[in-house]
Amino acid sequence: MFVWMKTIVLVLAVAGFALAQSLPDSSNVQPLPDSTKTQDVAFSNLYVSIEGGEKYPFGDLVDAVNNTFYAGLGIRYTYWEDFDGIVLFQYAYFEPHGKIPRINGVHEASGKLGLDYRWRLISPIAFGAGFLCNWTRADYEGDKEDFDFGHDPGATLTDNETEFGWFARLNLPVFTLNNYRAGLNVLWEQVWTLPERSNMLSVGLYVERRIW
Amino acid sequence: MFSFVSRATLMKIASAVMFCAIATVAAVDAEMEGMEVDQRDDGTFLVGSPTFYFDRALGSGGLHSESELWSPSKIRQRLLFSRLSVLPSWDVLPPLVWLKTGNELGDLIYQDFITTEDRPKNRTPILEGGFRSPSFKGFWVTARGFQDDHFSTRTFSYRKKMVDSEFALFGENYPMFSSVYAGAGYTGSQLNVSALAGEEYLWLFYESSRWIPVHYKPRVETRLDYGKLAATVVYEDAEYQNKKKKETGSRKEWNGSLRYGCGDACRKGFLHLSAGVAFRAVDDDGTVYSSLEDDRVLLPFMEMQFRVGNRFAARASFAVNDRDWLVQDSIEFSPAVPSKSGITLGVKNISGTRLNPMADTREFFDGDTISLTADGRMDLVQGYAAFTDTVGNLEMGGRGSFWAEYGAETFDVEKYVVDDIMVYRHGDIGRINDWIKGVTGELWMSIWYKEMFVFKALGGFERIDGEEKRFEVTPAEYFASFSADWLLRKSFRISHSLRYRSDAQWNLRSRDPMVIKGDWFWDATFEQQFPKQGLYLTGTLLHVIGDEVVETPNGAENHLRFVCTVKKTF
Repeated sequence: MFVWMKTIVLVLAVAGFALAQSLPDSSNVQPLPDSTKTQDVAFSNLYVSIEGGEKYPFGDLVDAVNNTFYAGLGIRYTYWEDFDGIVLFQYAYFEPHGKIPRINGVHEASGKLGLDYRWRLISPIAFGAGFLCNWTRADYEGDKEDFDFGHDPGATLTDNETEFGWFARLNLPVFTLNNYRAGLNVLWEQVWTLPERSNMLSVGLYVERRIW
Repeated sequence: MFSFVSRATLMKIASAVMFCAIATVAAVDAEMEGMEVDQRDDGTFLVGSPTFYFDRALGSGGLHSESELWSPSKIRQRLLFSRLSVLPSWDVLPPLVWLKTGNELGDLIYQDFITTEDRPKNRTPILEGGFRSPSFKGFWVTARGFQDDHFSTRTFSYRKKMVDSEFALFGENYPMFSSVYAGAGYTGSQLNVSALAGEEYLWLFYESSRWIPVHYKPRVETRLDYGKLAATVVYEDAEYQNKKKKETGSRKEWNGSLRYGCGDACRKGFLHLSAGVAFRAVDDDGTVYSSLEDDRVLLPFMEMQFRVGNRFAARASFAVNDRDWLVQDSIEFSPAVPSKSGITLGVKNISGTRLNPMADTREFFDGDTISLTADGRMDLVQGYAAFTDTVGNLEMGGRGSFWAEYGAETFDVEKYVVDDIMVYRHGDIGRINDWIKGVTGELWMSIWYKEMFVFKALGGFERIDGEEKRFEVTPAEYFASFSADWLLRKSFRISHSLRYRSDAQWNLRSRDPMVIKGDWFWDATFEQQFPKQGLYLTGTLLHVIGDEVVETPNGAENHLRFVCTVKKTF
């Protein structure tokens, strides 16, 4: 089942490349030859988006939680002529993989901040990266005092837990109409957890509107 | 061919000496104001908590750390037991609004479901938020809430038993400090006045190696700067407690300073003068774990700077009262050299009866009284020579010094007490009544390209010798550091530093010396800048490749951590 999901993701990603359309903004601007010179174009364009899709744990994390759906809001703004700033807020509810006593699932709110590079070679696809911060808290039964923090699986999640990480993404615009754009986001994230880092892939569709 | 030293050249020499001798603070952002020591790479900097660290630049001479030494330039710093500290800073920032959060990396999160053995300890965050309004006819308001939960986990269970609350404004991690204040002020062309009031929780590290909880409720700080006059008055109502021993106490304290520097006429002349007084007065009640002789200390001080042309400069500061005296002076000579280069020859001296005459004089520990003062005096003399040269976009320099110290402050240990992971000590502050000598050497180079790129490489060594090696800390013998600051397209900053410090060792806090192994460290800051909008989005990785070890006695591990900040200027 999981292998099929990954295959679908790859197909979607390839389809995204094939269908990707030119952006309505200045994606064909060449990189500046001298990086000490630049025009201040910050926030000259701003876009907001809604997004929904699925998150897939990778590596040892597949034994911890199941795939799940996510939804979120996004902001994209001009940073340099060939770079956009991106801010993403996403929510997901994860169910543990296998039975975990007294824990039904985990709420996850994720904030992401980074840059999209509109590289001419792969235009109109943009490649982005940045830092993320995930807040989590278990949906559990009973009192948190009943959990043994030293041993019970999921016990630490009965309190607020926050962890940082990094992400890389491909932004694949597929459809553009006036001030609207729809596309596919394929995002790889790594959360800096222990004893192992936690890796996930998310694939989602977004609809974006240009505000100015 | 040879030209006289110009003022610009002199400034260059001064900056070179400053660079080598005092600090090479990396441009990597500190996790909190006052925690810059954790990114210092020019000596021995060991951090056990935001409220306790050992900070000694390799070329500074003597055995003490910088925060142990009082000087007139620190009169507005915080006195954390016997050390002077910027953190928790009540310095009002320029008009802006900011938010900061961070975490020691390595929480379990989803790994919690699949990790039943050897679960890592909880990692803890930092939180900070504040603002200072723009001026309205010179008037402004400000507020700041900040606490650092890093470095708290290892001693968590020990400290939790001592207090009857979470001992923080937010959360249950028993952070080493938690502070909030608000206030108002006025800033005019000549006058700057402010009044702040707030509440603060602090864990202070005493000479016995105990963590002592102090709750300031309230703390009030007022400052006035009028021309060359600077005045500070602070009121602190501090509560002390040890729930385990059912002890409580309180200290009401007034402290502050007054300083006056001579004005424009003096600035144009060859002699600069300033004078002032620092003061503390305490009223203890119940169980307070230290005391100040006569419940008060008044320390008048004077600073002088004497300059002849651009070649010769002498600086001195004197502080004296009925109990102690402290003199710090230096003489520098800059011979004529080709332009774009410089040479400085100097001698520095520190003499006094106590490194910090403002600190408490006794500590009380399980029926024992630890004397925090020592008979006699210390004398430190250091001679140094520094050079700098510039070729195009390359600047290089070096500094060598020899120092000797007699009567260095140390601790005469009577016995150690082991309590689980904690080790305490009984005894008194004493002196090493013998000569300790050291020789230091540092070399550095810097390359830059316009405003876009600066690279610095710095290396140093120090050899310390003496018959009596009863140092509190044996500093690292050598270090190397490489740092680079990028400003891409004038609006994206990347600052990072890679550095190595050799072994350092704590000698007098446990029966066996505590060796802090040498290691490599890497820190990095990434910042999106929007200068037109005054917006700054910053992410900083700290302590990335170093082993996560405990660096001070009874301290906590220095973990890999990430801090992000949003700042908007007005």
